[in-house]
Amino acid sequence: MANVEGKATAITVLTPVRRHGLLVLAVVFWAGRHLTGTLKKLQQLSFIHYARWAVIERFPNDGAGERLQRSYLFFESNFNGTWDQYIDAFSEVVPTRMKAIWGTSYGFPGPIPVGPFKAYIRRNEFVANHYWSAYPGATTTEIIAAERVVAALERFGRSSARLDPQAFKAAYETMLESVQRDL
Amino acid sequence: MKHSDRNISGQAYALTVLTPVLRERVNALAGHLDALPGGDQSPLARIAGTHFARWVIIDDVIYEGSPQPRDTLAAPRLLFTSNFDGPLEPYLEALRSGLGEQADAIWGHCAGYPGRAESRAWAGWLRAHQIDSALFFAAYGDQTVDQVVANLEQRSRLMRFALETQGLAPDELQRRFAAEFAP
Repeated sequence: MANVEGKATAITVLTPVRRHGLLVLAVVFWAGRHLTGTLKKLQQLSFIHYARWAVIERFPNDGAGERLQRSYLFFESNFNGTWDQYIDAFSEVVPTRMKAIWGTSYGFPGPIPVGPFKAYIRRNEFVANHYWSAYPGATTTEIIAAERVVAALERFGRSSARLDPQAFKAAYETMLESVQRDL
Repeated sequence: MKHSDRNISGQAYALTVLTPVLRERVNALAGHLDALPGGDQSPLARIAGTHFARWVIIDDVIYEGSPQPRDTLAAPRLLFTSNFDGPLEPYLEALRSGLGEQADAIWGHCAGYPGRAESRAWAGWLRAHQIDSALFFAAYGDQTVDQVVANLEQRSRLMRFALETQGLAPDELQRRFAAEFAP
């Protein structure tokens, strides 16, 4: 059993959707795909590498799929930091969206206060049997910072090619200063 | 937006596959997955382009109590998810060839698994058990695994360089920079 790989943590949640929840979810996810607010909020959380939701109306099998009495909402996330920090942040930063999404599931107590919310996620999550990350030592913030650093470095490489040593040093220091927060 | 496009963010693809596990094999499958080596030794380390991936056994859906109707899965499910450099088809082939015997050792516990010998049957079986995402978030969906890793290395290199070259004369700094970061 392994929900943790280096700095990365996996979360896998499957919750039962109320009878009329499917329609709400269709609207919420449509908005999530077409209006950028939800994805921007997730970006703002800054420790999520990848996350996804899916609605399971039929569990795939060899035939037409197994339909249960209710549909199920699947959620997975790959994030850095601890499980507790993650749920705390979700509860604090995106409570309205959490409510819009999981409010359609049976038993959801709401994102605030965080205690019952955590207990709910614990009850409905599945621990990974095997979890893998290509860069377990890196946080989301570091990956995004590294992209900016490399872009700055490449710009500097091009613009400094013909500078004399004095001007080169000054330009180098300016470049370093510009990426200081990303190092 | 086609349903299958909902699995895509930038160049990143969210694959979700749920396959029915033969009930009498579920313990053997769990034992096998739990015992897989992690990190660089994970069979998933052999699949180029995989950012994060997991196998999770879902023995049954969770019952949250009344008024949720009690649902029971006819068969436990094996969940496989991956966040990888798209598109899907070449990745499924990379999975087949990269996992090799592990593919059979894992999905061989599932009902209807065709084996990995025949590429089209293998990919078709996984696709037939695929669930499309409703919403997929990728913090850096424009970056491939190779880019992420290269950017992180370059950032570390610049940090080391900046420390090592503190106080160097301009001409020496310029020479060292050219040697370290020559395109």
